[in-house]
Amino acid sequence: MRLPPGTRDWLPAELRRKRAVEAVMRGVFERWAYSEVQTPNYERFDALEAGLGEAVSRQTFLFNDKSGTQIALRPEMTTPVARLASTRMREAPLPLRLSYIAPAYRYEDPQEGRMREYTSAGLELIGPQSLEADAESLFTAIEALDALGLTDTLFDINHVAIVDGVLAGLELDAAGIAQAKTLISGRIIVALRARLAGTGSDAEVEEIVRLALMRGRDDVLAIARRLCHTDAGHAGIDRLRALLARASELGYGDRLNVDLSLLRDFNYYTGFIFEGFAHEVGFELCGGGRYDTLLPRFGFDVGAVGWSLAIERILLALERRHSTRFGAAPAIDVLVSGLDVVAARERAAGHVVRIDFDGLGEKELIAEARLHKIPRVVFAHDGAVREIEVS
Amino acid sequence: MSESLTIAVPKGSLYEDAARSLRAAGIDLPEDPGRKLFVIASDGTRILLLRPTDVPAYVEFGAADCGIVGADVLWETERHVCQLADLDFGACRLVVAARRTDRYHEGAQLPTFLRVATKFERSAETFFAERDVPVQIVKLHGSVELAPLVGLADLIVDLVATGNTLREHDLVVVNEIASSTARFVVNPVRYRAKYAAITALLGKLDARVVTV
Repeated sequence: MRLPPGTRDWLPAELRRKRAVEAVMRGVFERWAYSEVQTPNYERFDALEAGLGEAVSRQTFLFNDKSGTQIALRPEMTTPVARLASTRMREAPLPLRLSYIAPAYRYEDPQEGRMREYTSAGLELIGPQSLEADAESLFTAIEALDALGLTDTLFDINHVAIVDGVLAGLELDAAGIAQAKTLISGRIIVALRARLAGTGSDAEVEEIVRLALMRGRDDVLAIARRLCHTDAGHAGIDRLRALLARASELGYGDRLNVDLSLLRDFNYYTGFIFEGFAHEVGFELCGGGRYDTLLPRFGFDVGAVGWSLAIERILLALERRHSTRFGAAPAIDVLVSGLDVVAARERAAGHVVRIDFDGLGEKELIAEARLHKIPRVVFAHDGAVREIEVS
Repeated sequence: MSESLTIAVPKGSLYEDAARSLRAAGIDLPEDPGRKLFVIASDGTRILLLRPTDVPAYVEFGAADCGIVGADVLWETERHVCQLADLDFGACRLVVAARRTDRYHEGAQLPTFLRVATKFERSAETFFAERDVPVQIVKLHGSVELAPLVGLADLIVDLVATGNTLREHDLVVVNEIASSTARFVVNPVRYRAKYAAITALLGKLDARVVTV
């Protein structure tokens, strides 16, 4: 019996850890006043297509139902939640604070941290386009990873308009800008320098290359300020500066960096973007940003900002740290031999009860309890009920 | 978070120049790595001594934070690594070559269906696909220059440094696909997590790099 590539089973200890991590995430979402929603695991592809980028569309599992309608397994949660908000919740007062923890499916080469079936957890803040909304999205993510014990997760932030504003000073057509952004995003510095050569003064090209290598705070923003040619880019710099200031007040200052090479799926995001990562794992732990053009595609003219993470990646990071914080087996409170009614009374009292099937005698029962670190046994035979504390 | 680095270094023809670069950055490497798998430099830097083609995998999966590898190796892999600097050594060219006597280099008509022998399957495929030339790629692991001499292939795609090997076998360059030099590559997440250490190393490497 073989599973399809990119899928997995969850054995009891593994699933306990996963559920514990999900419970922590859910707790953070609730404390920030987010409400969990659920959408179907599969939907009509035409309903999702409007929101999915081209790359994600290509990775979507598609099939036809018996009527010939094309059905998609949802590849991510943001688009279904946007669809839900645009249809069923458009009369609700804004902002909408929605969260989810749900499986999603992507047809990609299975590898560490990239499974075809994965559990997406995240939130969407729908309505405001303000600094406050961007800050809330970032701080919820930091708090979630902190609550999971990943307190040294680093967060890199960017605003998509800045790189556009910097590249606007060069002689590049739309295709050239897209190429340059791909090279900046992958930090393919050698090819970036070659691509930009001759599109502006040597000094300006060298400064842009240097900016692509940099990661920092006010120093990066100061250089970006000098090189940026658009109002939108300058507004983006202002927003990052303001975000850094607010983050410092919460004590997050040292964990945040501006990284202009952070260009997550740049056809999708429209403003502030961020990723969180830990050095043990070779990919980001969480990521998100502002996507103000998504809900309008569903006819709902509001902005939105949100983030998500794959629960499986969190589990991997915790495993790499040998964290034993989550998923300890639930302790058994009492081992019962004999009457069902005695066991029922124990369960009603809220105890975890294991029932002996082996017909053990009293001494053997105590030995069994000691072996499994069960603190109490109840021996209920021949009309007598004896309760024994196991030392 | 430890700031000491693990660096993947290729054995073989690039080793000497790679070691010289790293020594310029204050990391002492042995003259001859022999059969060692790794060494620890006096400043605590761990040096992994690898087959050149294995360097990208070690860096992508974070077994090494960064490494040195020829651009030609990167063309053949789909590894996600940042390429931060051209180290300007290990220069070679990836070329299409044929027998001089076939006169393809002088514009003689190529056969309608080409067989191409190479170690560089991906680069060769891309090169011919971009030109809409139907070819059959024959993947070889060594002595590619023998293939056209014995009729295994019409063309070869191979690396040349000096061109001596081609001349010895009476082969000539038909097309140049790309030129390669050694690159300093970095794991994208480690670049962020160990930014200070990696940019310090980058600034000291004997290379055409900008200082951050």
